[in-house]
Amino acid sequence: MSGNMLLEMVRKPLVVAIALIVVLLFLGEALSPGFASVQQILRLLIVAALLGIVAAGQNLVILGGREGIDLSVGGVVSLSAIVAGNLMSGMDSGIPLAILACVATGAFFGLLNGLGVTLLRIPPLVMTLGMLGVLQGLLVVIRQGIPSGRAAPALSEFVTRPFLLGLPGIIWLWIAIGLVMAFILHRTVFGHRIYAIGSNEQAAYMAGVPVKRVRIALFMLSGIFAAIAGICLLGYSGSSFANVGEQYMLPSIIAVVFGGTPLAGGKGGYTGTMAGAVLLVILQSILTTVNIDESGRQMVFGATLLVLMLFYGRGRAMRA
Amino acid sequence: MPKLKLSGVSKAYGATVALRRGDLEIESGEVHVLIGSNGSGKSTLCKIVAGSVRPDSGEVLLDGKPVAVSGPQASRALGIGIFYQELSLAAHRTVAENICLPDMPVSAGVFVDKVTLEERAARYVRLFEDVAGEGFSADAPVNSLRADQRQLVEIMKALASEAPVLIFDEPTSALDRAQVDRFFEILRDLKKEARAMVFISHRMDEIFAIGDRVTVIRDGETVGTSRIAETDPAAVVRLMVGEQDELAPQTPEPEQARTTTREVLLSVSGLSGPGFVNIGFEVARGEILGFGGLHGQGQSSVLRAIFGAGLVSAGEIMLKGERLAARTPRDAIRRGVAYVSGDRGRDGVIQGRPIIENVTPIHYLRNRLTIARPSALRDKALRALEALHTKFATLSHPINSLSGGNQQKVVIARWLIDRPDILLLDDPTKGIDLSAKADLFALIRKLAEEGMGIVLYSSEDAELLNNADRILVFNGGSVTRELTGADRTRYNLYHAAYEAA
Repeated sequence: MSGNMLLEMVRKPLVVAIALIVVLLFLGEALSPGFASVQQILRLLIVAALLGIVAAGQNLVILGGREGIDLSVGGVVSLSAIVAGNLMSGMDSGIPLAILACVATGAFFGLLNGLGVTLLRIPPLVMTLGMLGVLQGLLVVIRQGIPSGRAAPALSEFVTRPFLLGLPGIIWLWIAIGLVMAFILHRTVFGHRIYAIGSNEQAAYMAGVPVKRVRIALFMLSGIFAAIAGICLLGYSGSSFANVGEQYMLPSIIAVVFGGTPLAGGKGGYTGTMAGAVLLVILQSILTTVNIDESGRQMVFGATLLVLMLFYGRGRAMRA
Repeated sequence: MPKLKLSGVSKAYGATVALRRGDLEIESGEVHVLIGSNGSGKSTLCKIVAGSVRPDSGEVLLDGKPVAVSGPQASRALGIGIFYQELSLAAHRTVAENICLPDMPVSAGVFVDKVTLEERAARYVRLFEDVAGEGFSADAPVNSLRADQRQLVEIMKALASEAPVLIFDEPTSALDRAQVDRFFEILRDLKKEARAMVFISHRMDEIFAIGDRVTVIRDGETVGTSRIAETDPAAVVRLMVGEQDELAPQTPEPEQARTTTREVLLSVSGLSGPGFVNIGFEVARGEILGFGGLHGQGQSSVLRAIFGAGLVSAGEIMLKGERLAARTPRDAIRRGVAYVSGDRGRDGVIQGRPIIENVTPIHYLRNRLTIARPSALRDKALRALEALHTKFATLSHPINSLSGGNQQKVVIARWLIDRPDILLLDDPTKGIDLSAKADLFALIRKLAEEGMGIVLYSSEDAELLNNADRILVFNGGSVTRELTGADRTRYNLYHAAYEAA
């Protein structure tokens, strides 16, 4: 009986995620009064927005199926933060060029990932892991000699200061991305094609879906979203330092899976992923509150993903 | 006393009866041929002997004693060796290892005894010496071999069982003449050793060259056994056809005139590719052209090649007078070609997605749409689904909530919003219920009347005979006979399908 109820709950990942968010907020408040204060929640939402933007791209790649995953997002976030910091050097006038350059950079590495996966038939896991290695090497090279750059004041303000209705610009940006994602996935032919190749690539191909082009586009979008997150991250931290983005790889995947998109792809959506991102950030914050250090947090995240696989990892059976 | 006897065995999968009443008697020292048309129950009969399928009723007697064949291991222990039609080889292991796989020689309890293994394998490899072809050796990995060589390994593996009863399910389909001859010599030697052998083949010439007796199975029932020496191919075909033959229900005769005067929509000439050679035909507006013959004689490959989903090495395809060289299904769809696969789970259904998303992709592509507005498409989708009497709750229900027949209807409906010029049907009724079939063929005839050109490949002969205006019989990758008008009989169809290519 309780097993059935559990199953029923697990079928609605969004419900589970939101319930867990509430539980964790109460837990946090109990452990450390003030944890769930408005100010604190706002800070958590900013951090969640950064993760959520990365996870948007991750979500698209995973939806497209065929073991789709992008392990290079962290590298693109880091590179984008450094490129943006150097192009701005603390001046607002540098913002447009920085955005342009970062988005182009993200799209470029996404394109390479997409070409490797489709034309060379390299498994996404291997392709994007290799790309992550390339990006990490590139970061080391770039950082030698060149100062790491500073965020433009307007950018920092956008990310950290209230902008409209008491919410900072980045939260509005995240909401806008949420709406755009929902529109793409449910109201465009491209969105329907993503689900189609994710659930049955061969059938999609036979129905005239340009499978390779769609998949390349997904990896490019993942690169672009990671680049946007990199710019915002620069605004959040003020200056870019090496490997700031590294922390995003695993959580971006967990947020997607928590949100109800199975790693096998073909079903799910971004709303759940957004809840998943908030949930993870709260969890991270609680772990910090109870003095669990970075390595401990990594272990908790890794274990969380494995436990999630236990519940959500069965999406594959349907495709057999 | 027969060596192996099956008496009254039956097997049903749910409501589908695969084998109604199978009887078979095999003597020691004979090659016993088993023949029957597609889906008549031969393979089920073999699987029962092999132990991979348990019969619902009936008896299997070995040396007069009833035995329960509970699985492949049990059948091997009972002395039954089987050649599997679906290749069951370990791709990365050598020929020698594959031959000895069912019974690995072991030393000291755990280690593979290499010397014994190679000696034993060499015995069987030697049997096919100088016909196996280039690159064939005991230490070659199986995945480096050609299809015919892999089939030889499969034969060697069956022979290596040294079982008193041997069953060969279409062992010669990929072999060349010399290899078949050698194989038959080996079978004749085995006859002298008093082995009992079952041989399944669709080639009349082979059956009459090697068989001692032939048992015909039709619609899941054994209909008769005769001595090869006392029968002839025509008599065997008549047994396979049964009483039901005579003329196909005639479609109105003016069709003849109509196909000659109407515009040619699709014209294929000299088309070759993997699995088919030099195929040529024309489809006129309003015509239903049937592809017949045994399974896998190139029908499906030709259809997929036209649709851009298969390879073409030579030849030309013209659509409404213009060259159609579709490199992908996408190209073909844009030009007005439609294709419905019988393997809907693989090629058709987008699992887990709503019905509406399964109906609309072709419409989006042909109208180059970027924004999906399901509400605006509702009426068009409903009309397409209604044309096939599709049963569903709402358009937003997942396609998986439907029965197999209704899923296939949804897949077909996606081609009806924007009508194609040519509809290619690749065994479209595989595994769907009778009423869905009836709905489907009613629609196909209606579409033809409205001017669509239709190519129908069906593995069910009745479907072809009842619906096609003309039938091209495929045999060994080419068209060996064209049946028109009153020639469209089951007898003629079988005769052309089973004669030597």
